[in-house]
Order: sequence, then structure tokens, then C-alpha cells
Amino acid sequence: MAGPWTVVEGDPPVPDTLKIVVAGGFGAGKTTLVSTLSEVESLHTEEIMTSRSVGVDDLAGVEDKTTTTVALDFGRITLDASTVVYLFGTPGQRRFSYMWEELSQGALGAIVIADTRRLADSFDSIDFFESRRLPFVVAVNCFDGQRTHRAEDVRVALDLAEEVPLSLCDARDRESVKGVLVELVELVLRLELAGAQGPL
Amino acid sequence: MSAYEEDDRSVESNLIRPYSLTGGRTRPSRGDLTVTSQVVAVPSMGSADLDPELELILSVCARPVSVAEVASRAGLPLGVLRVLLSDLLDQGRVVAHTSPWEHRRPDADTLRSVLDGIRRL
Repeated sequence: MAGPWTVVEGDPPVPDTLKIVVAGGFGAGKTTLVSTLSEVESLHTEEIMTSRSVGVDDLAGVEDKTTTTVALDFGRITLDASTVVYLFGTPGQRRFSYMWEELSQGALGAIVIADTRRLADSFDSIDFFESRRLPFVVAVNCFDGQRTHRAEDVRVALDLAEEVPLSLCDARDRESVKGVLVELVELVLRLELAGAQGPL
Repeated sequence: MSAYEEDDRSVESNLIRPYSLTGGRTRPSRGDLTVTSQVVAVPSMGSADLDPELELILSVCARPVSVAEVASRAGLPLGVLRVLLSDLLDQGRVVAHTSPWEHRRPDADTLRSVLDGIRRL
């Protein structure tokens, strides 16, 4: 949105940005997927969570602790001089859903990475993006190139809606991760053309 | 990465009071800075007499860079960085640009060119 403090005459050009959220259970491969496509070494920052944002119940037993930090991994992909894509890994724990809200705000869509050894770990992410009507795809991370599960079986196990794309991927493999991103943007494009987009 | 590493990073306690750099303020003076907002220092504004943290932030955003990257490179938590960055914006030392796509989804033509761009990577 062109506010009064929008820049900049002449140099240097300021790109527009697209944000994609990468979610999934602990150890499913979020950080790996983000760093596979990032043009800079995986970037890392922290956010401070106050007791207010974490939620009172979650601080049971740690009453003396009013703040905690949550790690955020993210990556940058420059498509051209005017467009940069950011991939943000969400913190795995549900008690950090405040950060999920913040990162999902204004996002183009989301990638949910599922680990077939712990499929239930991706339920929280799927529920969250469904409830926010944020377009998402599911990428089943096949470690060591092993495709021991059929995509259709995983779809049934996750109780995924038919229109949610699901694919097998290797989070360490550049072409594989590109394929997942393409799937997500194609989904957003289909929704756009169908006029079926939820509110941002 | 081991389970312990991720857990340690996520829930470690803060030994340094994080908002001491902001004079205790936990909310930025403006609410329009997102993690992907691009910020760039205004070169004509000098940085004399600034706190070292603010000087560091200005040096990191000598070229356009996202708020999240500034936090990462300056080693400051996002919440703290946003308060300090808002001060710099208010002082005219930094300008910012938030993508219109934060407020409405890109149109079909834009999405097609994004697809082309990803396939070319």
C-alpha cells in the first residue's frame, strides 16, 4: 500500500515481497526446506514471547518466567529486481500459535511439511490454515529418498480436502522444493481465477 | 538438528532483559512494519550521537532489506528491533516500503510471472 513514507526516487530499487509460511511438526524438515531454496545461508532470528502472547496455561510451573524466546528460521529467494519471496518456518510448538497468526497475516500461502513417521504432528498446522482460509499444500518429506508411503494413503490419513494438493518431496533437493512452491502458487492462481480467495 | 537443539533455541530463558534497549517500550510507535517490509537508511541523515544499536541497524539497512533480515543481522529480537526501527522511521533516518501484496493477493498475471520466476531458479 502506497503510504506517505513509501520510498524511493531513483536508487536503489525496493522490491515487493511475497511471504510463504512453512509449517509442520517438530523435525519434519521445515528448516531444511527453507534453506534448500534460500539464496543466503538460512537466516535466523528470535521473537520474544510474553506471558500474554504465550497464554497463561502454558506457563504453569514456570510462573517466575515472564518472557521466553522463540526461534524463527527464514529464507530469501530473489525472483527478479522487483520481486522477492520470503519463506518463514513457523515454530513447531502449538503454544507459539501467536507467531503463526503473525506470520500468516498477509501471506500468499503455506506449505505444511508432513513426516510419515509422525503424521499427527501436522494436524495442528492443517487445522490452523484451514481455519484461516490460507491456501496451503502438503509436502510429505521423504527422507533418504525413500517413498515408503503412497500419496493417496497419506491424504486419507490426514483427512485432507480433495482440492488441497499433496505431493512427496525431498526437503534437501532443490528441484523437489521448487516443485512444491510451484504447486502452491498454482493453487493460489487457480483460486484467484475461480474468484474463490478468502480474505487476506 | 537434534531434538535438544531445537528445544533449547525455542524455549531458552532470556538472561538479559530484552526491552532494556527500548527504554522498556514493548510496542513500536507504528504498527505498519511487517517482517517482510523493506527498510533502507536515508544516506543524507548522519548517525552522529546515535546509540550503538541504532547505528548498527542503520549500517545493516544501507541497502533495502527486510525487517526480519535486519533483526537477524543485528542480532536483535524482532520485537525489540521493531520498536527501534519505528523510532528511526519517525526520525526520518529510515524509509520503509511494505508490499501491497501484504494487503491483497497478487493478480493472476503477477502470479504467472512468479511461477515463471520460480521455475527459472
